Amino acid sequence: MRPLLELRGITLSYDESTVLDAVDLTVEEGELVLVSGPTGVGKSTLLGVVTGLVPRFSGGVLRGDVLLDGVSIVDAPPRERAHAIGYVGQDPAAAFVTDTAEDELAYGMEQLGLPPETMRRRVEETLDLLGIAHLRDRDLHTLSGGEQQRVAIGSVLTMHPRLLVLDEPTSALDPTAAEDVLATLTRLVHDLGVSVLLAEHRLERVVPFADRMVLMPGGGRRVEVGDPADLLAHSPVVPPIVELGRRAGWSPLPLTVRDARRAARTLTLPAPPDVADLADEPLLLATGIGVVHGSTVALREVDVTLHAGRVTALMGRNGAGKSTLLWALQGTRKRRAGAIDLDGDDTAALDPAGRRGRVALLPQTAADLLYLETVAEECAAGGAGTREILDRLVPGIDDATHPRDLSEGQRLALALALVLAPAPRVVLLDEPTRGLDYNAKGELARILRTLAADGHAVLVATHDVEFVASVADEVVVLAEGEVVSSGPTRRVVAESPAFAPQVMKVLGAPWLRVDELEVALT
Amino acid sequence: MSATTSGTSGIAIPLSARSRVTLTVASVLGLMMLCWPLLVRVGDGVSRIDPPFLFLLLLPVVIAVVVAEMSEGGMDARVLAILGVLSAVNALLRLVSAGTAGVELVFFLLILSGRVFGAGFGFVLGVTSLFASALLTAGVGPWLPFQMLCAAWVGLGAGLLPRRVTGRAEIAMLAAYGVVAAYLFGALMNLSGWPFLLGVAVPGAEGDLSFDPTAGALHNLRTFAAYTLITSTGSFDTGRAITTAIAVVVLGPAVLTTLRRASRRAVVVQTAS
Amino acid sequence: MSALPRDLHPVAWWLWAIGLATAASLTTNPLLLLMIVGVVGVVVTTRRTDHPWARSFRFYVWLGVAAVVLRVLWRVVLGGGYPGEVVLDLPEVPLPDFVLGVTLLGPVTREALLAGLYDGLRLATLVICVGAANSLANPKRLLRSLPPALYEVGTALVVAVTVLPQLTQSIQRVRAAQALRAGDTGRVRRLRRFLVPVLEDTFDRSLALAAGMDTRGYGRAGTATATERRTTGALVLAGLCGVVVGVYALLDQTAPRLLAAPMLVVGTLVAVAGLVNAGRRVQRTRYRPDRWRPAELAVVAVGLMVGALGWWLNHHELAIAYPAVTATPEVSLTALAVGLLGLVAVVVSPPPRVQGGAR
Repeated sequence: MRPLLELRGITLSYDESTVLDAVDLTVEEGELVLVSGPTGVGKSTLLGVVTGLVPRFSGGVLRGDVLLDGVSIVDAPPRERAHAIGYVGQDPAAAFVTDTAEDELAYGMEQLGLPPETMRRRVEETLDLLGIAHLRDRDLHTLSGGEQQRVAIGSVLTMHPRLLVLDEPTSALDPTAAEDVLATLTRLVHDLGVSVLLAEHRLERVVPFADRMVLMPGGGRRVEVGDPADLLAHSPVVPPIVELGRRAGWSPLPLTVRDARRAARTLTLPAPPDVADLADEPLLLATGIGVVHGSTVALREVDVTLHAGRVTALMGRNGAGKSTLLWALQGTRKRRAGAIDLDGDDTAALDPAGRRGRVALLPQTAADLLYLETVAEECAAGGAGTREILDRLVPGIDDATHPRDLSEGQRLALALALVLAPAPRVVLLDEPTRGLDYNAKGELARILRTLAADGHAVLVATHDVEFVASVADEVVVLAEGEVVSSGPTRRVVAESPAFAPQVMKVLGAPWLRVDELEVALT
Repeated sequence: MSATTSGTSGIAIPLSARSRVTLTVASVLGLMMLCWPLLVRVGDGVSRIDPPFLFLLLLPVVIAVVVAEMSEGGMDARVLAILGVLSAVNALLRLVSAGTAGVELVFFLLILSGRVFGAGFGFVLGVTSLFASALLTAGVGPWLPFQMLCAAWVGLGAGLLPRRVTGRAEIAMLAAYGVVAAYLFGALMNLSGWPFLLGVAVPGAEGDLSFDPTAGALHNLRTFAAYTLITSTGSFDTGRAITTAIAVVVLGPAVLTTLRRASRRAVVVQTAS
Repeated sequence: MSALPRDLHPVAWWLWAIGLATAASLTTNPLLLLMIVGVVGVVVTTRRTDHPWARSFRFYVWLGVAAVVLRVLWRVVLGGGYPGEVVLDLPEVPLPDFVLGVTLLGPVTREALLAGLYDGLRLATLVICVGAANSLANPKRLLRSLPPALYEVGTALVVAVTVLPQLTQSIQRVRAAQALRAGDTGRVRRLRRFLVPVLEDTFDRSLALAAGMDTRGYGRAGTATATERRTTGALVLAGLCGVVVGVYALLDQTAPRLLAAPMLVVGTLVAVAGLVNAGRRVQRTRYRPDRWRPAELAVVAVGLMVGALGWWLNHHELAIAYPAVTATPEVSLTALAVGLLGLVAVVVSPPPRVQGGAR
C-alpha cells in the first residue's frame, strides 16, 4: 500500500548550518507518529516541511521531495495542502482568526469554498466529536488552555484532513487537560483513521500513545524511525519510566506505567532513602493572602512560608491561581487580605526598586523582560554582576547576539540573570520549564539547587510533575485559589495521583527519581 | 543604542503600474473632495450652496475601490497578519493618546511602518488603522472617510521617501516628515470639516470665518488659513507634530529594528530548489 | 404574528440610517430634524442588543449636542454683522489685520443664533443617525458582509479587532515584567522598555496567526485570468476618472450639467462593477451568512423612502425644507412623512436577540 505521506531525502539548510540532513520518513494511514529529540534539533522544522511553512515562513533552502499519496507537493504552499494536512501550532490561541469557537471551526471550510450545508453539518459533527459543543458561542480567548487546544484541533478537523500535524500540543497544559487532548487524538486515529504526526518534549505523556517514533538525536547523527521501544533504548532524551527500564535492564522496555509495574515485580528494592532534614530558616512568611480579580476570588486565605535553602514547587491546574500568588508574594499584585513578612517588611509596601532588591520574579513569558538589541546591552542595563551571573548559569553566550535569537533555555537564563542581579534572597519562577527538553530541565534544576544552596528561598510554579520530583524539597498545591495540600514533596505527590511522577507510579511511594535507585539497580 | 538598521527591507504590498495610476487618480479625487470649498464656482443667480453631503457617501466607495485594487493580486497571509496587528497597535496608540490634548501617537508607527514595509502597505495601513480604531472606540462618523484618506497619504508618503538614507540621517528625515505630515493632516482635516462645522456664509454677512462660495478660491484660502490658524495650528497640530517628532527620534531606531526583523521574516521567501 | 427574535442584517440598519441621514442633510427645518432624531431614538432603544457597541448611542447624542452648542457659540464669537434683531449686545473685539479684519463678539442677533442652531441641528441629526447605525449593527458581522474584493482588508480588520484585547493584556504583562529588572528610567526610554517587547510579541503572534491562516487554506489560488484582471483594472480606472469629472462638474456650476450628476452616477457604477469583478477571483463561501429576508428589505425600503421624500421636499417645498430664520418653521404633510416614516422600521424589524440565547 502506498504511504499517506512520504519525505524523501529532505535537507534544509540556512546560510551555513544544516538543520535537516537527508531525512526519510513515511506516515501510513491511521497511525500516530511521534517526533522526539533534544531542543533545537529541528523537530518544528521537520513538521514545517510537511505543512509547507518551511521554508516559506522561515527562510532557508529546502532539497528533497514531499509526497502526498505519491504525488509531489513540495512546491505547493501551505494553503494548497490545507485540505489534506491540518496543522496546529505551539500556541493555538495565537492562530485564532475569529472570536468564537463556531466561527473558528468554519474558517478553514470557508477558505476551501465548501457549500454552506456541508459546513453547517461538519461544524456540528466536530463540536460533538471533540466534546466542545458547550463552547460554541464562547469568546475564544476566555477558554482554558485545554479547551483552546481542542478548538484548534477542531478548526482543522472540519476540513477533513487525512494527516494532522501538531507541534507540542500538551506542553502548556496541566496533566489533566493534557490527558483530555491526547485521548481526543487517540480517538481520531482509532475511529476516523486520521494520521497524526506530533512533536512533543514531554515524552512521558505521549509515548504510550505512539505507534511509531522519529528520533532526531541531533549533533549530526542520522534521524531514525522505528518502534518507540527500540528507539528509546538509546535515545538521548527519554521519559523517566524508560530510564528506569534501561537501568534495570528490562527488555522489552516498558512504555506505560502498567508494563513497568509488571516488570518491576522482580525488582528488589533497597531501604527507602532517608528523608533529609530540610533547612529551617523562614525567610518569607505569607499568611491569609486573599486576592480578588474583578468579582472572582483568585486567592483565598493562602498561607505560604518560604525557607532559605529550600526549593518549593507550586502546583495546580491552569487557572488555579499560581501566577497570582507569585505576583502577590512579590508585592506588585494588590491583595485584599493577609500579611507578608519578609525580614520585617511587607513587599507590597516597597517601591519597584526595593522589591527588586528583595524578591526576584521570573515571569511566565521571560522574553517580556528583554528590550535591548544585544546581550551585552541587556547585561549592562541590568547592573553590575549581571554578566557574571549569566556566565555562571549558562556559560559562553556571545555578547553580540540579539536576545530574541537565543535558544529558549539561554533566554530564560538571561532573564533570570537580570532579575537576580540586585541580589534578592527570594526567587520566584513562573512556569520556567515550558519548551525545555530533559537536558535543559536538568540544567535548570541544577541552577535552582545552586541558588538554594547559596541561601536563597526558591518558589517555582509549574505543572511539570517530573521536574518537581527532580528539584523540589516541598510542594504546595493550589486549587480554586486555595491551598489543598502542602508539605515535603514525597508526601504531597504520594497523596495526589495526578501529581505523582512516573517512578512513584511504578514503584510506589516514597520513590521520586531514578537516580535514587542507583544503588539498588547496580 | 546603536541604530543597527540596514537599508534593505521588503516591500510588503508591491505597487504595480496599474495600482500607481489608480492610486493617483483616487488621490486627485480625494483631494478634490477635501478641497471643494476652494474649487467651487457658483453660477450667476445662485444664492445658497450647501455642503455636498454626497461626498460623505462617495469617498468611502472610492477608498474601497482603491484598497481592493491594491490587494487585487491577493495578499500574503503574513503581510495581512502584520497589517492586522499594526492596525490594532495604532488603534490602541490612538486610544491612549487621544485623552491628552494634542498628544497623538498615531502617526509615529504609521510613518515607521510605511518606511519599512513600503508605500502600498503604508497606504492600506492608514486606512485600516483609522477604520479599526473607529470600530473599536472612536465610532464610525461622517468624518471617518476623510481621516482614513489623509492617514493613508501619510503612510504612503513615508514609503516614498528616499530609500538610501540610513542611520541618523534616516531618523532625522522621518522626524521632519512627521512634522510636515502632522501639520498637513491637521490642515486637511480642518478643510474637510470647515464648511460642515461653520456652515456656509450667507451672502451679505461680513467678517465671518465661514466659507463663502461667491468669493474666489484665493479669498477662501485666506479665510480658511485664518480659521485653521486660530482653531488648531497653535494647539492640536503643533502638539501632534512635536509628539510625532519626539517619538520618531527616541523610539524610532528601536522600533525600526523591530519592524525590519519582522519584515525580513515576513517577506523573505527562499524557494525550494 | 410576531417575528422570532434575531439580529437584523447589519447592512440593512446602515442603509436605513443612511436614508434618514440623507433626508436630514437636505433640510434645516428644526421641527423636521427633531422628529428624525426622535424616531432614531425610539428605534435604537427598542431594537438594539445588549452588546457593548449598542451602548455607544449616548456618545453620539452627546456629540450631536456638542455640534449644536459649538455652532451657536461660534455664531456668538464670530457672528458680528449678521443682520436682524439684536438680543445680546456684546462689545466688539477687533483682531489684527492679518486675519482679514475679523472681529470677535459684537452684537448678537436672534437670526444669527437661529441660523447657527438650525445648521448645528442638521449636523447633529446626521451624527445621531450614524450613531444609530453603529449601535444597531454588529460591527463584526458587518465586516463579514464586506464585498469579496475587500476580503483581505476585511480579514486584517477582523484580526485587528480580535488582537486588541490581547494587546492590552500584553502591555500590562510587559509593564509588570519590566518593573522586575533594572534598566533605563528616563521618561521616554521607559516607553521604549515596554514598546519593544510588546511589538516583538505582537509580531511573533502575527506570524503564528499567518501560519494558522495559511495552513487552513487562506488565499488559495483563485480563478482570475489575465483578461479578467485587465477588465477589473479598466473598470476601476474608468470609473474613478468618471467620478473625477463628475465631482469637478458638481463643484464648477458653470460646467455642463450633463457632466455632473449623470457622470457621477455612471462613474460610481462602473467603479463598483470593477469592485464586484475583482471579487470574483477567489472561490470562498460563507458559514451561516446573514441572509436578506423580507424584514431586511422592508427596513431598507423605509430608509430609502425617507431619503427620497427628503429629496422631494428639498426640491419642491423649499420654504419648508429651509425655513427662513425670521419666521416660525412650518411642517407640511410630506415633511411629516419624512419625519415619522422611519418609525415603521420598529414594526417591520424583528426584536433583537438577547445575549446568551441560541444564535
